[in-house]
Amino acid sequence: MDTSRSYLEPSSFSKKMAAAIIIVYAVITLIPISWMVMTSFKNVDSAISYPPEVLFEPSLEGYVNLFTNRSRQSQEYLDSLPPPENWYEELVRSREMVITGPSKFLGRYSNSMIIGFGSTFASVFLGALAAYAFSRFRVPLKDDLLFFILSTRMFPPIAVAVPIFIMYRKLGLGDTHLGMIILYTVVNLSLAVWLLKGFMDEIPKEYEEAAMIDGYSRLQAFFKVVLPQAMTGIAATAIFCMIFSWNEYAFAVLLTQFNAQTAPPFIPTIIGEGGLDWPAIGAGTTLFLLPVMIFTIILRKHLLRGITFGAVRK
Amino acid sequence: MSVKKKFKGLSDKAVGWLFIGPTVLLLLAINIYPLIYAIKMSFTNFYANKIGREPQFVGLKNYIKVLNKEAIWEKMQVTASFMFWTLLLQAIIGLGLALLLNRKFKGNELLTTLIVLPMMLSPAVVGVFWTYLYNPQVGLFNYVVNFFYDLGSFDMIGSSTLAPWAIVIVDTWMWTPFTMLICLAGLRSVPNYLYEAAEVDRASKWQQFIYITLPSVLPFLLLALLFRGIENFKMFDMVVELTSGGPGSATELASINLKREAFEKWKTGYSSAFAVILFVTIFGFGNVYVKVMNKIKER
Repeated sequence: MDTSRSYLEPSSFSKKMAAAIIIVYAVITLIPISWMVMTSFKNVDSAISYPPEVLFEPSLEGYVNLFTNRSRQSQEYLDSLPPPENWYEELVRSREMVITGPSKFLGRYSNSMIIGFGSTFASVFLGALAAYAFSRFRVPLKDDLLFFILSTRMFPPIAVAVPIFIMYRKLGLGDTHLGMIILYTVVNLSLAVWLLKGFMDEIPKEYEEAAMIDGYSRLQAFFKVVLPQAMTGIAATAIFCMIFSWNEYAFAVLLTQFNAQTAPPFIPTIIGEGGLDWPAIGAGTTLFLLPVMIFTIILRKHLLRGITFGAVRK
Repeated sequence: MSVKKKFKGLSDKAVGWLFIGPTVLLLLAINIYPLIYAIKMSFTNFYANKIGREPQFVGLKNYIKVLNKEAIWEKMQVTASFMFWTLLLQAIIGLGLALLLNRKFKGNELLTTLIVLPMMLSPAVVGVFWTYLYNPQVGLFNYVVNFFYDLGSFDMIGSSTLAPWAIVIVDTWMWTPFTMLICLAGLRSVPNYLYEAAEVDRASKWQQFIYITLPSVLPFLLLALLFRGIENFKMFDMVVELTSGGPGSATELASINLKREAFEKWKTGYSSAFAVILFVTIFGFGNVYVKVMNKIKER
């Protein structure tokens, strides 16, 4: 068997060529991401030097600027102040500025967390229930219902944003965490139902039937037998929902402003003196993208399934 | 079927409704109701910022206005050319990368994961960051281009001939891994015996590629393009942060124009009509595409 297949195996030269091209592509494609991380560790001057600096003295100025608000002061005023209490105050003073307070970044970041986790939990929970019913029961108009659920994903967000904006204003849900959680839950539901249905289809029916013969009710069988079996699928689905909520921009920029604004609409507004503060934006971007990169690495086995709504499984 | 009665608790039918009910209700409330509301508003002269004024029914006036407006056709053209170039580039590069990765060399799993990273990132944040890379004075992109071919100073975002390419490049950078992953799945689904039989029949490698590999990957590639097509038709976040539709309206895609009409000029009735037209377009094209795709799959 092995010998019969050997001529199908690409030659070692062609393998090496393929590897070389792929490595070159990977390096090129990672340059923008590495550049962003590098920029976050530059100081404001070296971020705007030309030619772009590949080797530079690392600085935490971007991170300090990201987390603080500062104002420029005269040298006399600075001299009149007591000596700086910590390293970041010293760094800001060296730029002839004083820290006037914390920036909004932390609040925006935690909004992203709250809304992300809230909506992920809700959509995975509701999605798991619906997926189970679609997977096991004879539901009238099943295919139409499933297609309807998928089709809600085709709406351009802006198309439904105005009615939702008006509706939320009436209900008092505008610019609230709850409103955004409900909205993202609904957007993620289609993905959750489709993905989880695929995972549940793979769990043999016999498991819960055996449990029911042993005296479990259908509900008990679902919670005690099926859910634990589907745990991998649920985790993968949850990460996908989380990434979506985390990255979402259109609804966030249109429906939130002060209270429930998430990080994606906020990061572009970080402005330093005389234009955008690139190290601070780099720092915000790095902190914001880091969790997603870690998630992607965890998810790599289920990636394909997630991005195709379960249409392609292997 | 009567066996079921032996089990205790709720009947399967009741559990079924209990499980599906909340999902369907939520989708109806937050997705379908707003859509119907939008359709209703599209027949009125409603302005969402003028709260006191009673909207009046104007019939098809908004639709006629949208379809007769030359600017709208320009936006559609911008959207269409953005879709054409991104889908073309992503199909070619994605398929190419998938063919290479399918050679199963050492470390290809790690490399696949690395290549996939850009597509998981927040498009809006990616858009902001690329404005830095494209910066005409200090941008890395400009430096690299000038390093290989001296163009002097050029502004990818500020020039109306280059800006459409600026968004095509970023979208291709982000989403090529998507087509790549799906094509790779297609390649791995081809059973080995097909190639074995072809070897026995002395088919050349090239013939094997044309008659076995391509036809098996094609449905996967078409599926990937369907997903990307829908997403790019709706494209908003990355482009808003990168060029905000400019300069002028060189990169003003349909969604960006819709946002301007709806949330800056507050022409709710008019923009709702535009939204409905966009939705019908995407739905219509999507359906036709799926039909064609299924025909190809059957062959």
